[in-house]
Amino acid sequence: MRNPIGPLEFTRRGWVRLWLLAVFVFLYAPIVILIAFSFNQSRRNIVWTGFTTDWYGRALNNASLIEAFTNSIMIALISTVLSVILGGLLALGLYRFRFPGKPVLDGVAALPIVIPEICLGVALLVFYARVGWPVGLPWPLNLSQVIIGHVVFSFPFVAVVVRARMEGFDRSLEEASKDLGASEWQTFWNVTLPYMKTGLIAGALLAMTLSLDDFVITFFTSGPETITFPVKIYSMVRQSVTPEVNAASTILILFTVLLTVIALKFQKPSEGVG
Amino acid sequence: MENWRRQPWVFATFIGPGTLWLLLFFLLPLGWIWLFAVGEREGPVDIVVTWTLENYREALQPVYLQLFLKTFLIALVSTAICLVVAFPVALAICFAPERYKNVLLLLVILPFWTNMLIRTYAMIAMLRQNGFVNDGIGLLWTGLKYLLTPIGMDGLMGERFAPLPLLYNNTAVVLGIVYVYLPFMVLPLYANLEKLDRSLIEASLDLGASQVRTFFEIIVRLARPGIVSGIILVFIPALGTFLISDLLGGPDSQLIGNVVERQFRAANNLPLGAALSFLLLYLTFLALALRAWFAARAEKADA
Amino acid sequence: MIPVRRRGLLGGGLAVAGLLPLSRFARAQEDQVNIYNWDTYIGSDTLAEFTDATGISVRYDLYASSDELFGKLREGNPGYDVIFPSNNYVERMVAGDMLMPLDHALVPNLKNIAPAFANPSYDPGLKYGAPYTYSLLVIGYRRSAVAEPPTSWAAVFGPDAPVGRVSLPNETDLVRVALKSLGKSLNTEDPADLKAAEELLLEVKRRGVVKMFAPDTGQDLLLSGEVDIAVDWMGDLRQVMAEDDDLNFVVPSEGTVLGIDCMCIPKGAPHPAAAHAFIDFVLRPEVHAAIAEEIQYAIPNQPAVELLPAETRDDPQVYPPADVLAKSEVPAYRGEAAEKLFEDVLTRVLAA
Repeated sequence: MRNPIGPLEFTRRGWVRLWLLAVFVFLYAPIVILIAFSFNQSRRNIVWTGFTTDWYGRALNNASLIEAFTNSIMIALISTVLSVILGGLLALGLYRFRFPGKPVLDGVAALPIVIPEICLGVALLVFYARVGWPVGLPWPLNLSQVIIGHVVFSFPFVAVVVRARMEGFDRSLEEASKDLGASEWQTFWNVTLPYMKTGLIAGALLAMTLSLDDFVITFFTSGPETITFPVKIYSMVRQSVTPEVNAASTILILFTVLLTVIALKFQKPSEGVG
Repeated sequence: MENWRRQPWVFATFIGPGTLWLLLFFLLPLGWIWLFAVGEREGPVDIVVTWTLENYREALQPVYLQLFLKTFLIALVSTAICLVVAFPVALAICFAPERYKNVLLLLVILPFWTNMLIRTYAMIAMLRQNGFVNDGIGLLWTGLKYLLTPIGMDGLMGERFAPLPLLYNNTAVVLGIVYVYLPFMVLPLYANLEKLDRSLIEASLDLGASQVRTFFEIIVRLARPGIVSGIILVFIPALGTFLISDLLGGPDSQLIGNVVERQFRAANNLPLGAALSFLLLYLTFLALALRAWFAARAEKADA
Repeated sequence: MIPVRRRGLLGGGLAVAGLLPLSRFARAQEDQVNIYNWDTYIGSDTLAEFTDATGISVRYDLYASSDELFGKLREGNPGYDVIFPSNNYVERMVAGDMLMPLDHALVPNLKNIAPAFANPSYDPGLKYGAPYTYSLLVIGYRRSAVAEPPTSWAAVFGPDAPVGRVSLPNETDLVRVALKSLGKSLNTEDPADLKAAEELLLEVKRRGVVKMFAPDTGQDLLLSGEVDIAVDWMGDLRQVMAEDDDLNFVVPSEGTVLGIDCMCIPKGAPHPAAAHAFIDFVLRPEVHAAIAEEIQYAIPNQPAVELLPAETRDDPQVYPPADVLAKSEVPAYRGEAAEKLFEDVLTRVLAA
């Protein structure tokens, strides 16, 4: 006999399962179609004319696509790490301290979220040109312009999420830790950080998503040698969405799924997120 | 909350890096755009700062104000739908068995690691007149009609199936925004619900409160910081949307983001684009600063 | 007045101080050329053939519209050698002092340019750009869905235009074709003419004719059956006609917008000699003809056109006859204030 559904086992309730299913269908239906069309013979993603795997060959042989892809991953990784550090620290500071001008900093930290991307993109373009930011450095230093831009608009997202997470934190835990002789650093590492973890992971996922998907700001901050995947895709797609783009995206999806599966395998079941 | 003077070095470590980054790479670059907003174009490239208010005056014309209003409404509706859709998802992930949590969380975020433009094109393929959704409904329609014919009720269903106009209207724009910003609602909610004290919910249920009442009075109330941050992360970026309305919208789906985008690009009118951007910025800044000020005042009252 | 100079306060400070190498200037040897072009806009073998012929390697990047190109270069050239702006952007960039004049001695194949394109209004004497392709903004339609094939702009703006079945461009060219349909020049600056065009467009929109103001995707809407009539560029429509026999297009009898894309060298190009070599290479008859065959755009290169198969050369849907071309106009750039008149009309039409 099955156990009765406990009051908090939401995942076992029929309507919650149905809801989850509907949301996942909504999220994944376009992805399934995108993958299906990567096998279409027609140059356009409109009429199905026959099965082929040619587009995969073309995508894999497209050196500039591969280069853009590598750049994207590199930028996303670095900007995520920086965003989590900057966003996490700022959130903690705003949560913990009272200081003059706090509402102003609060507001300013949220501005990168509100500013139209194009405005920030042009601002950075103007900024780099007028301060004479060095160009043509060896890889990956030449990605610095793009990475700085990505961190600017990603870390406020991390800060907002982490801050919300901290609202319920019991400060007396920190006090207790310090009373027992732990240093500021030990308290942070052993008490505060574990509590923040879920917020940091959620923030990191958001920062990663923002960076991997950004087109506008990247376009204005990248040079001839620092094209990213979205910039490449965007220029290819506006003329016509060829299945080559779909094939490249499918490879990207498989790649991320693979990485994810490996990461999950290495993580012990008890070490769940949070 | 403690006074920063008590531990100035710890305070500086926390606040310093982010503030410095914002100053150097956000406020400073934005300074030029701010100057553009009070400048005039001299030729196609050069902009001379004359401290004119002409651009702001133009940005406040009814044609733009009306777009601000429409954008505000669309962003509001999209955010509300996002919240309703995302809340059960976040809750389910939080209360899922530990081994499924990561998998579910990644399933939510994975589609968003695919380029948004390609996803939107796939959505178009799905929703257009001869797309899969309409084909599916058409098939159902034909089947139903076939079944109803013997009992003489096929007249109820009209002569032939008319495809639903799922694309190129404001509904499609809202749907597109919900699709793109859903994880920005799910993740903050999850981060907040996850630390929820389960004994409170159990206590509420034990004391005889219904599931519904427990949900609204305990869970929603405790998740408020998460809800607020989710709303901020969806509503505010949605105000600047332009690609979704460009690709999925109909003839009356122009949003303020489209106009700003065009001023910065095709129209090459940076001063007007800057003025429109800064209007959006001032409004949001005001709202957020007011929120922070009220929060600070409430705290002082508590102390 | 505080002039915002293009190179401001710190003007190259870091570089001048020698803190960091500025390899944009260091890399002066011309064994490379950085090309910035639209996608699907060159032959698949062209670049490799160029490298074989000259030993110069090619870096090839893509953009999606002229305004992106302009935006990217407005604060200075990030390192491109050859760009492909449309005629109106050639003018705009010349006005903004962003292009390097072509050294005609290094581009002998400029003599191949057909007389009709050799002294254009937007660039007299081809001082700054070598014409690469040209196209007309035309009316594409689905044969089986229209009662009779359209012949003029009345099919789009007239009272019989099909409700909810038309896609129009979301650019200022929309205002220009509206002017054309009213029998005006598309370069008019007369407020009364612009007012009339605005009212025409607003009226068409009110009647519900417009399904969508499309961002360069009209041909896809037509192919997917979402609309029956799409105003789009000839070359784009020819690509979808190859996939569906039921599609066709017509050059409206009143005339339309003629667009010419050019090869130019932006100021500050790191490899100007290689850039000239590339432009001259593309203008070789056999090279330009091979490109035209593949991308299906009309080229203004006389000897190259003669190399094309007769059925292409004589197809009026690829090379419109002289009388049709004569009715069409190249949009002129007359400064930002004049551009703004068109932009304002467009904003009001789109926002209505």
